[in-house]
Amino acid sequence: MTESTITRRDFLKGAGCAAIGMAMGLPVTAQELPAQTAKSRVVLIRDKLAVGPDGKINGEVIQRLLDRAMIALFDKEDPISCWKQIIRADDIVGIKSNEWGPLPTTTEVEQAIRSGVMSAGVSEKNISIDDRGVLDNPLFKKATALINTRPMRTHAWSGVGGLIKNYVMFVPEPWKYHDNSCADLGAIWRLPVVKDKTRLNVLVLLTPLFYGVGPHHFDKTYVWSYNGLLVGTDPVALDSVGLRLFQAKRQAYFGEQRPIKPVAHHIAFADKKYGLGTSDSDRIELVKLGWQEDVLI
Amino acid sequence: MGKARSDIDGLAPTEIMGWSVSDTVGAYDRETIFDYIDGAGEVYRAYDFREVKVWRLVKENAPDILVEIFDMGSAEDAYGVFSHSREDESRGIGQGYEFRGGLLCFWQGRFFVCVLVEEANDTTREAVFTLATGIAERIPASDGLPGLIGCLPAADLHPESIRFFHLSSSLNYHYFLAEQNILNLSRDTRAVLARYGTGPTCLLCVEYQSTDLADSAYGSFVSGFLPESNGREVIEIAPGKWVAFRLQAEHVMIVLEASTESRASELLESCARRLTEVVQQTGVGQ
Repeated sequence: MTESTITRRDFLKGAGCAAIGMAMGLPVTAQELPAQTAKSRVVLIRDKLAVGPDGKINGEVIQRLLDRAMIALFDKEDPISCWKQIIRADDIVGIKSNEWGPLPTTTEVEQAIRSGVMSAGVSEKNISIDDRGVLDNPLFKKATALINTRPMRTHAWSGVGGLIKNYVMFVPEPWKYHDNSCADLGAIWRLPVVKDKTRLNVLVLLTPLFYGVGPHHFDKTYVWSYNGLLVGTDPVALDSVGLRLFQAKRQAYFGEQRPIKPVAHHIAFADKKYGLGTSDSDRIELVKLGWQEDVLI
Repeated sequence: MGKARSDIDGLAPTEIMGWSVSDTVGAYDRETIFDYIDGAGEVYRAYDFREVKVWRLVKENAPDILVEIFDMGSAEDAYGVFSHSREDESRGIGQGYEFRGGLLCFWQGRFFVCVLVEEANDTTREAVFTLATGIAERIPASDGLPGLIGCLPAADLHPESIRFFHLSSSLNYHYFLAEQNILNLSRDTRAVLARYGTGPTCLLCVEYQSTDLADSAYGSFVSGFLPESNGREVIEIAPGKWVAFRLQAEHVMIVLEASTESRASELLESCARRLTEVVQQTGVGQ
């Protein structure tokens, strides 16, 4: 091997690293991080009534959750001011959703985001919601702003499917990013089609899948009503917090440590290799709002 | 990996306990697998996966049952994909099965079979087991486990942790070794990985197609992972984390993260002895 490679030794010797970095198998030391002056703020907001006992999502509650999260995230008086901070009225906005059958983003979340974007003055005709068709979607092709949203779930090949992974549909051959447990998903965020366009990320934690079995990696036994949204501008920080939640849930459910397999190191790679955000819990400000029962983190 | 003719249709499920096969049968190959299994298709493509056929069994006022039969091209790859995610293993259906929640998976011959019902109760569980047993009985018996597994010492071995695979992506799935493919793993290599004892200690044994390829891979591993080794075969890479490694003809053996130097050496020696025996008895590596 002539070029240096990241190996397991890198994190074995990183005893002083942030816990999240170690959990992912990579060193994330303060010295190695891109220069940052502020922490990445992540807002976790939950409401007991967001998901009914029948599994039905309450759209009004979702809208309230998103509004409150925006206010907490951007320190503004009202949600409209928050949306206006990140979206201009003349923006063309693509809302990158996720339509995976067993656990989609949900229409209610999509509509709450669309409503927020429109509150910033964007015409409805300049907003599109899409997942697998983004590369052929005329509006996404000329989008000036993106909102990224999807549910978090364990994933058979990348450990977890979260916000970083959600942009894999912006490449024509997603399997080219499957090597090494999808370690290089962060590279997609540098492509012109998405680079510097993402204004907001919403990780849906209403009914997350915390453990997967079988060919489809889905069994509703391992879906739980967490009734939350995780909102922020740093997709790496959001995925990192989501990963911590999953580890906590698995510990609580199984009564023992059940490490996520494979290690979701694409999150740490997105930080350390691609500078997309921070995975270091010391550099993440977690703001918790709403329902606190069994919050786990 | 050799060629094998697909014969999945002859294994199709039949009516059972009031469930009957619906009209739609799905069929997916290496290129279209992602249309069916979003994301997890790579698990199968990491092996010699040829095709999967899918049947849905329906019954009024009862949950559907899904039957998936994967042609993995060879018995060792059917075992490999079974070993990929199993957390436990039972005997009695096929050449090994696991039942979790409403999902029963087994392997037999070159086929990997999954029978899934969304709601597991006594009735659906009986249907799943009956269906799986019936399919297994229609698959011709094959040789047993991949011969390379015989190199794993039995003492302190966690049998449910044994993984058989070919590619670097699979190794990193189970145990992240390095970002790059420093062991030169390929579709032509065979590898077995297993956990030992109560800690993180793992034993990895890789079989190459020739001594030259093994020698080259060994050199790549040493320079990429243990450049300071200077001829030593046991090294402490972090406090209480010992690695032992050896080249033996077509094989590279590596003990990872043993807690002591003696434990690393002992496991390596034991593996080397067993490997010699296995090669003599079965021709593995010949």
